[in-house]
Amino acid sequence: MLENKAQLRLVKGDEATHEPYTIAMGPQHPATHGVLKLDLELDGETVLECKPTVGFLHRGVEKLAENLSYAQTLPLTDRLDYIASMANNVAYSIAVEKLLDIEVPLRAKYIRTMVMEMARLTGHLLWLATHALDIGAMTVFLYCFREREILLDMFEEICGARLTTSYTCIGGVRQDVTGHFLESLYDFTEDFPSKIKEYETLIDKNRIWLKRTQDVGIVSAEDAVSLGLTGPTLRGSGVDYDVRKHMPYDAYPYVKFEVPIGSKGDVYDRYRCRMEEMHQSNSIIRQCIEALPTGPIRAADAPDLVMPYGIQKKVAADATFSSGIIKLVKDSERYIEGDVYVAAEVPKGELGFYFVSDGKGVPYRMHIRSPSYIHIGALSFLCKGQMVADVIAIIGSVDVVLGECDR
Amino acid sequence: MRIKYDTKKKLAEQIFLLEILKGLWLTLRRLFSRSVTIQYPKERKELFPGFRGKHALIRDPETNQAKCVACMRCSSVCPARCISIRYSVDEKTRARKVDSYEINALRCIFCGYCEEVCPVNAIVLTEDYEYSDYTRQPFHFDMERLLKNWDEFLEKNNLEPDKYLNPFLRPRGLPLGELPAGKRIDVPEEWTYEGQVIWKDGKAVSAKEAASN
Repeated sequence: MLENKAQLRLVKGDEATHEPYTIAMGPQHPATHGVLKLDLELDGETVLECKPTVGFLHRGVEKLAENLSYAQTLPLTDRLDYIASMANNVAYSIAVEKLLDIEVPLRAKYIRTMVMEMARLTGHLLWLATHALDIGAMTVFLYCFREREILLDMFEEICGARLTTSYTCIGGVRQDVTGHFLESLYDFTEDFPSKIKEYETLIDKNRIWLKRTQDVGIVSAEDAVSLGLTGPTLRGSGVDYDVRKHMPYDAYPYVKFEVPIGSKGDVYDRYRCRMEEMHQSNSIIRQCIEALPTGPIRAADAPDLVMPYGIQKKVAADATFSSGIIKLVKDSERYIEGDVYVAAEVPKGELGFYFVSDGKGVPYRMHIRSPSYIHIGALSFLCKGQMVADVIAIIGSVDVVLGECDR
Repeated sequence: MRIKYDTKKKLAEQIFLLEILKGLWLTLRRLFSRSVTIQYPKERKELFPGFRGKHALIRDPETNQAKCVACMRCSSVCPARCISIRYSVDEKTRARKVDSYEINALRCIFCGYCEEVCPVNAIVLTEDYEYSDYTRQPFHFDMERLLKNWDEFLEKNNLEPDKYLNPFLRPRGLPLGELPAGKRIDVPEEWTYEGQVIWKDGKAVSAKEAASN
């Protein structure tokens, strides 16, 4: 005998009332790219509502920064978007330089642009790898990691770490590049377009790929702007906005590149957009290598932000105990009152740092405008009315990293 | 630049699954190319100098002790606050003596600030990354342990103590005047400010060389 209503509905089939039910996707789901939890309200396989829950990876970077000097916070920015940490380092440095009014030497600017584009490649390669893996193309995953490995080895050569780079310093970069680095990077840029072609051969016209990505997760240009999307996710919808082009920093005014823009705003468009961006990054790296000027790699008065050298060497010699040095670093006359917001184009979108300074050696408040956080906020809009399987494709196409989202 | 949204297929492509065959041909060709992976425990990747790994205090060949002068720079610059130093001051000579030097390696975030600011090149992050253990205690490095790390590192890599060079001991591309006396060590010309590299005619050359030609 049928005892409860649920069984009754199962048997009756057609006459069953469609009662929505909720499933929790994540936080340990492999396709959510980290510890993202989605509460999906479903009717059959159709998503009625998608509520993202974030904060599983919260480490309080913003609060930590209030107790650390500006130079000490820099290694923490590695841990935001940990798959392209060079880009975070650069974004943080240009924000602090704007606050403290430091002019970076030209050579450092070129090196920074170079490593930032390398970071964009590592970010996009990992995005393509995992996005394809989520949708079901295993081979692309392995091929992308082959190229990413070469770039990570180059990071290791110039800064001593593959992921947690901490390469820039306030006012420049910490280490100069070597000849071996330049040559291997140049070889890489010559080889890389053929590798992109390989990925495209595998998935670009593949009918499974097209079925999974076309007309899925469409977001119009107006909606994309009002949701606050940035980066390739926004450009896929056909909005021409790129911080590198419209508010250029470092050496971007001196290099030639184009901003790829999509038209339809679906998952496939965002995929094409990022693939095209990889070509552009490749050409930017090449131009930076060829135009690399000579000169200092740190601004003349910047090193004392880490530790009093140069200018304050004499004062520092007298104050060799711990509190004295910290006092020197923190009470330097450099620090001015005021607030500043500076954004940079990282692989995910627009990463902005907002500082409120009260004239001391530590920020009064640091806020991070992380693109991943805002993109996750847009997920509930994007997933509404889609199938459960398409939710995976949409998460992949907005390219979120939870380290940056939860910070 | 507007990207092409062109996914239409020709009739032949639609019928004969050409794009699938192309993909399969690509993966088949890869089967006969050189492998890109390393079989880790058997083979090991060669690291670049300056990889930020296990901590060590460089043993001074003259005194057979650590070079540390207890200036406290490393402990005050450390973002993770994992270095703690205690020292005593000699009443007559005003010289400092390090009583204890401790690094909690589990707190360390391997940013390399300590070795960069050290004015006498006492502390170094060696290119050793294999030091796992079952308990926490072995990662609490005291002075003896840090000196032992240095000896073990030299032994493992067959290095001469005075031949060891690391870009953090003298940061690449900084003018000599900006460095404290202890960091003005001999380095390859490429690492110096005068010998920095630029790109010319399809290869990396030092700026000095490029100017003279």
